[in-house]
Amino acid sequence: MANMRIENLTKRYKEKVVLDQISFTVKDGEFLSILGSSGCGKTTLLRILIGIETCDSGQILKDGVDITKEDTKKRKMGMVFQNYALFPNMTVLQNVMYALYIKIKKKEEAKRQSMDMLKIVGMAEHSHKYPHELSGGQQQRVAIARALVLKPEVILFDEPMSALDADNRLVLRKELKQIQKKLHTTMIYITHDQEEAFSLSDRVMVMHNGKIEQIDTPHVVFNKPASTYVESFVTKHLKEKVSSIEKCAGIDL
Amino acid sequence: MIKKRTLVRFFLFLFLFCTIFYPLLVMVCKIKWSDFSILISSASFRQALGNSFLVTLLATFFSISIAYLLAYTIHHTNRKHKEILKILITLPMLIPSISHGLGLLTFMGSNGLFSKYFGFNIVGFWGIVIGSVLYTFPVAFLILSDGFGYIDSTMYEVCKILGFTKWQTFRKVTFCSLKKALLSAIFAVFTLIFTDYGVPLAVGGKFITLPVYLYKEVMGLLHFSSGTIISLFLLIPAFFSFLFDIFCKDYTTTSEKSYSPSKNKWRDRILAIFTYGILLFTFLILGSFIYYAFIDNIILHPTLSFDHFSYVLDNNLISYLCNSLWISFLVAIFGTILSYLIAYFTARDKKHKSMHILAISSLAIPGMVLGLSYTISFNHTIFYHTFLILVLVNIVHFMASPYLMAYNALKKLDPNYETVGKVCNIRTFYILKDVIIPNTKGTIREMFAYFFVNSMITISAVAFLYNTRTMPLSLLIPTYEGNLMLAEAAVVSFVILLVNLLIKGSISILNRKERRIKYEK
Repeated sequence: MANMRIENLTKRYKEKVVLDQISFTVKDGEFLSILGSSGCGKTTLLRILIGIETCDSGQILKDGVDITKEDTKKRKMGMVFQNYALFPNMTVLQNVMYALYIKIKKKEEAKRQSMDMLKIVGMAEHSHKYPHELSGGQQQRVAIARALVLKPEVILFDEPMSALDADNRLVLRKELKQIQKKLHTTMIYITHDQEEAFSLSDRVMVMHNGKIEQIDTPHVVFNKPASTYVESFVTKHLKEKVSSIEKCAGIDL
Repeated sequence: MIKKRTLVRFFLFLFLFCTIFYPLLVMVCKIKWSDFSILISSASFRQALGNSFLVTLLATFFSISIAYLLAYTIHHTNRKHKEILKILITLPMLIPSISHGLGLLTFMGSNGLFSKYFGFNIVGFWGIVIGSVLYTFPVAFLILSDGFGYIDSTMYEVCKILGFTKWQTFRKVTFCSLKKALLSAIFAVFTLIFTDYGVPLAVGGKFITLPVYLYKEVMGLLHFSSGTIISLFLLIPAFFSFLFDIFCKDYTTTSEKSYSPSKNKWRDRILAIFTYGILLFTFLILGSFIYYAFIDNIILHPTLSFDHFSYVLDNNLISYLCNSLWISFLVAIFGTILSYLIAYFTARDKKHKSMHILAISSLAIPGMVLGLSYTISFNHTIFYHTFLILVLVNIVHFMASPYLMAYNALKKLDPNYETVGKVCNIRTFYILKDVIIPNTKGTIREMFAYFFVNSMITISAVAFLYNTRTMPLSLLIPTYEGNLMLAEAAVVSFVILLVNLLIKGSISILNRKERRIKYEK
């Protein structure tokens, strides 16, 4: 668990401003979703937070310590990728325990901890299988276990469910929420899916053109959108969805 | 402090620069420009240049046409055993070009197995054309076959739905998708034929082409300056081919769905006859020199005999074979490591465009030119005439293709593996050792085989760099052939074919087995 404070983060690619003076905080054990359409700068923000990319100006503070120029390895953060990025030549168990084994150099201990984590994500009985033998949802569970087994203080998700079908998404959403409650890890979750952000998060941060439009609880964002963009991208969209479901179910508004 | 990674990159860059550009620069600097006008005005040079263009244009046309029809047969007709056909078509790549010429000579030369019944002699212009076609059509076939594999078959379904005629479909889909592969094949084949001296040396007779002219100038007359100027002429088509590869080749296109050919018995039958006809002719030529190797005397006493074999054996065959195996093994090991490492940096990191261009630039340098530049640059050093220089010249000469194999395989791997390593605190070296290399094992084996097979058959790159102690086996072929000992030259070609079959075959079997295990899982 850790809290994070991001101050005036700015990133430019040549003339284009991708992130414009971004400032926000993430509390201990909080689940924050960053919601926005393609090209709004959310993935760049995530890559800067993990340390794969650098920012032009601004600060990232973790538990009050400036980690802006810290190496990725020293940030104690985990990451789950959109395309899972599991190692195809390793079994589920090997994928999860690989980094842990390199870190602690004790095979049995690494194996025990990895199996515990696989139990948490419901993949213990598939530990001997290879990634190509698993469904998308199962692969994503393994990727989550791999990120969690190193006990990161903050874990980042880069649109982890965008490649899954609707059923799998629903199941995995519930499970992810349960895992978060159980482990109390601080989680930052990137998505362009409004439902996903609203159903998972303690707070939602809506981004547009490299700026934060609104950051608040799902309830406030839905009922009191701070800008016309938030209203059209989030509120209107969700309301239309609810109304179409109600129409299909035969409920008269 | 300089990072280890940066240091490795720097040394790789330095290696490429010193082994490719330094020798070329030295060679060009040593040209006596007064020789230029003398050479240009010489009638024999102009004759050789004209001959080269004529032969190359005609042979390229035939080679590409045959390769196109073969690739079409494999991909767009209903044939069984396509994999076996593919192997058979590419089998002639396992012998040196001079052996193709030798095969042609024993089959259709004066007193050839076939020609003696009809009283004709293929030696000369047509000998070079046919020999060059035999030598290059498998290369063109591989490029075009790759191109056919990339065509998105849903495009054919779209054409069908839109009611396009077959001709329109061919123009709009097949031809358009194949344009790049076709041009690439034309450039590659043109360059191969224009710079090859194996076939013309064996079957050219008095019809002199530019590479043979260069060979005679340097080896016979020791005119290094003239040789260098001729080298510049040989570089021209190779240079254009290289530019084309850099600017026009699309390495990332993929097919969505494999093509299933429509039923058309007549098309299938005609193309099957054509394919088997070409294969029959190719294997008659190959079989002809093998037959020659084990026959006592083709005219006076045509019975089975191991005399030629024993003769070559008594004349240090084993020693030359060991030289070749040793060189090929070292080239394969170090060439694979080096090109894989360079590809790892260029494919997994976007910042290395210059290293990528440098690594494929050896495509633009014909073997003879490279060999000559090494001779001129290193003839006063302790490397000259050593195994080291032979290994080095082979690595540089053959690097481009295995490098591209590795580059494509590494590009296809998930780009996030290194990021996973960074996030999980795993050193890049471990990711390379435990993830990247195990997932490209098949490609690494193919790279090894490519280096090995080509080092076994090369003549042009090493022709000026050996001495009696380091001479590779392949160079025995022009030596015997020059002394009209065709049967002995055939024995050597046969031994090279056997070794290459063994290496290429074992690696193919290993890769196939691994694919099957993976599939069954």
